[in-house]
Amino acid sequence: MSALTRPWNNLTLVGKVILPLLFLVLVVGPIVTVLAAVYVAPLVVDILASNLGIVRFVVAITAILLFSIPAAFIIIYMELKVIAYMNTRVGPNRVGPGGSLHSVVAGLKVLLKEDFTPTSADAIVFTWAPVFVFLTAVMTFLVLPFGPGLYAQDLNIGLLYLFAVGGMTVVGLLIAGWSSFNKYSLLGGLRSAAQVVSYEIPLTLSVVGLILLAGTMSLNQIAENQSGGFWNWYVFRQPLGALIFFIAATAEANRTPFDLTEADSEIVAGFATEYSGMRFGFLFFAEYVNVFIISGLLTTLFFGAWNAPVPFPHIELSLDPGSLGIMLLILLAVVPLILTLLFALPFWLTQSRMPGWQALILGFLAFNVVAVGAVLGLAYVGFDWFAGLVWFMIKSFLFVFLFVWMRGTLPRVRIDHLMGFAWKWLLPASLLNLFITAIAIVVLKSTVIP
Amino acid sequence: MVTETPIGKIRSDDDPRVLLDEQIGSFEPVPPYPPRTERESEFYTLGDGEMFLNMGPQHPSTHGVLRVVLKISGENVVDLDPVLGYLHRGVEKLCENSDYHHIISQVDPLEYVSSLFCEWSPVMAFEKLLDVEVPRRAEYIRVLTGELLRVASHALFQGWMALDLGGLTPILYSFIERDEIVEMLASITGQRMLFNYFRIGGVNGDVNHEFMSRLGDWMSRAAKQHETSIGLLNENEIFVRRMRDIGRLDRDLALRMAVTGPNLRAAGVPYDLRRAHPYSVYPELEFDIPVRGTGPEGGDALDRYLLRLEEVKQSLRIIDQCLHNMPDGPVMAKLPRLLRPRPGRAWAAIEGPRGLYGTYAISDGTDQPFRMKIHDPSFVHLQLVVQLMRGNLIADTMAVMASLDPIMGGVDK
Repeated sequence: MSALTRPWNNLTLVGKVILPLLFLVLVVGPIVTVLAAVYVAPLVVDILASNLGIVRFVVAITAILLFSIPAAFIIIYMELKVIAYMNTRVGPNRVGPGGSLHSVVAGLKVLLKEDFTPTSADAIVFTWAPVFVFLTAVMTFLVLPFGPGLYAQDLNIGLLYLFAVGGMTVVGLLIAGWSSFNKYSLLGGLRSAAQVVSYEIPLTLSVVGLILLAGTMSLNQIAENQSGGFWNWYVFRQPLGALIFFIAATAEANRTPFDLTEADSEIVAGFATEYSGMRFGFLFFAEYVNVFIISGLLTTLFFGAWNAPVPFPHIELSLDPGSLGIMLLILLAVVPLILTLLFALPFWLTQSRMPGWQALILGFLAFNVVAVGAVLGLAYVGFDWFAGLVWFMIKSFLFVFLFVWMRGTLPRVRIDHLMGFAWKWLLPASLLNLFITAIAIVVLKSTVIP
Repeated sequence: MVTETPIGKIRSDDDPRVLLDEQIGSFEPVPPYPPRTERESEFYTLGDGEMFLNMGPQHPSTHGVLRVVLKISGENVVDLDPVLGYLHRGVEKLCENSDYHHIISQVDPLEYVSSLFCEWSPVMAFEKLLDVEVPRRAEYIRVLTGELLRVASHALFQGWMALDLGGLTPILYSFIERDEIVEMLASITGQRMLFNYFRIGGVNGDVNHEFMSRLGDWMSRAAKQHETSIGLLNENEIFVRRMRDIGRLDRDLALRMAVTGPNLRAAGVPYDLRRAHPYSVYPELEFDIPVRGTGPEGGDALDRYLLRLEEVKQSLRIIDQCLHNMPDGPVMAKLPRLLRPRPGRAWAAIEGPRGLYGTYAISDGTDQPFRMKIHDPSFVHLQLVVQLMRGNLIADTMAVMASLDPIMGGVDK
């Protein structure tokens, strides 16, 4: 017995944990996998196949939740860097190449910080307010079409859903401000309530004209209506509507110059004054997710959604790598080697001082760039959804850049100017837009179109 | 053990947690003593629908450590009460216990963005006490460096103004402009912020080659740079609309409250010490005194902002003339190392970027002044906040405060 126990006793604590785990993974794991593949898998596949809608929804939700965090990270980094260059600063440049991992580290920092609740705050509401704000922000992603077929749910009342859920953000901000037991927070919450409720009306009215034109409220359908080239985009048929939507959406997302709710020179940080740790992180992420959402909405509604400005001639790729048989394997093994050597050759020839291994590494890198480029190019040509996603992202991030640019250059408006602008200018203008659109549709339908 | 204090019940001496039942009252920014004046008792009683908002001393836009208690009704400021003293160091008393040379370094940090002007008026007062003739080259260098710093100070004002209105970018461009000037001055004074450069009877060291080459380089593009910074902000509709018609300061109020400097000239009074009571070599130099807000309503925050921009142009003119007219000669009068002026009193005042900087010194014949009083414009202007901000919105409070351009180092002394 001692022959068996002695090696066991010699193990460190970590070893005693790892060894059984290793046994489980190497022996029990395969057995379970095989049994599951044989007996359980057909059942699961049956269940999944009979509930395809739910499966699709769950997968889409997961993808959206996973997407929202990196999107916020990218926008935060973009904002830091773009505003830094506008301010003649360098901006984040420590973590990752060009500081590109800065927002990831900032997110980690937020996770590790003390999560502080003020003594007199309404603890339950205080805790759940940021979750509520973040949830409403992420929920609006549900109906946003990222590409042909790339949407979580194609609601036929997509736009209505969007405004309904987006309008709920204000409840989160208000309860965040109220429950903090801080006068700055309270002022920020009240400001956000006044602002978001005022701008909700022109925001909604500005797209009614578009709904009349499109004849649908499904965002997917609106996107498809704009296919075929940039002259079909709704911005050319609804320029006033697009402008009003842009302004009102900026105010809805609390972005500069309408960032009164967190005016740092007046009310410190508004509703977020007392928040710290991940609860602040949620509020912060929600803000940037909102920026992406209004950019995506602008793209979807007025700037052709996923459609390319000039339609790309459709090419039917008749690639069938399987027909090559064993040659495919040989090619996969040989082509990288040949290409690496081929790309290494000029490096090696022109810079004769460079050691051969360095030239090989450079050649390998060059091959990788070419390979990734080729794969992406093939994907762009071959898959509609990929091309759509690329165009959607390009357009959306152009608008994100616009919002960041505005933040870098504009001062903040005053509360009375803000409210006056909404009620005296935007609301009449959006009604005028609706009126003109309606008349134009009636006249055109009765004369031009039989 | 529960102790009763004016700010609420304290649980015990070693556990200073405020009792939770009493907390609502205890968080109000009410002074922990019974009201001393009628104004105080009136201010600290709340009307219907009003609440106190304590702003500062740690607040992003109170220009240092000013604390303002606002009485607000919604977004409207009903009344307000500035509370000073968070930066008080007793500089006047320190000066009375230092000898005359050391005083220059004591008064230096009063206004940290334009410290040469803080040195200038004590130095002039002591020169009057000692009856010293300052060499003309030294006077020219004083005017030259002073006007350079006036440009830097006004550039910074422009940046702060935009920052307090929510614009992030202009402050950094302001700092670039200020940094160039400060680096330039550092090449002759050795310091970037608290120069300690003026001396009784002259200045500490002549201008050198590096300073002149930097200055020439800067002068060749200063006017254009100024135009750029004007173009960045002055045509911004949001910026202009936020400053128009707030914090109106009319002629009567300005004179009654002893306002000086750009704030007075923006209220329609063409009073500039450089012309009204000429000192140094200013009578020999050509420059205009810009005036705004000459109407019966006086000037608003926008007038005060624009006037400072015009002053920068005049300062550039003065710098140009100083460079061309500067005579050769010594930069320091011959003086003994230990100064013992005859008993007497002297008052000297100069025109700084914020107004009148004055020093009143009494000598009793020893090497230290018997009494030294420093008049600082920021302190005088801060009295105005109550009159100018009453009835405005919370956001305007920042704009009005920024347009008065106070520096808290000088206010609290």
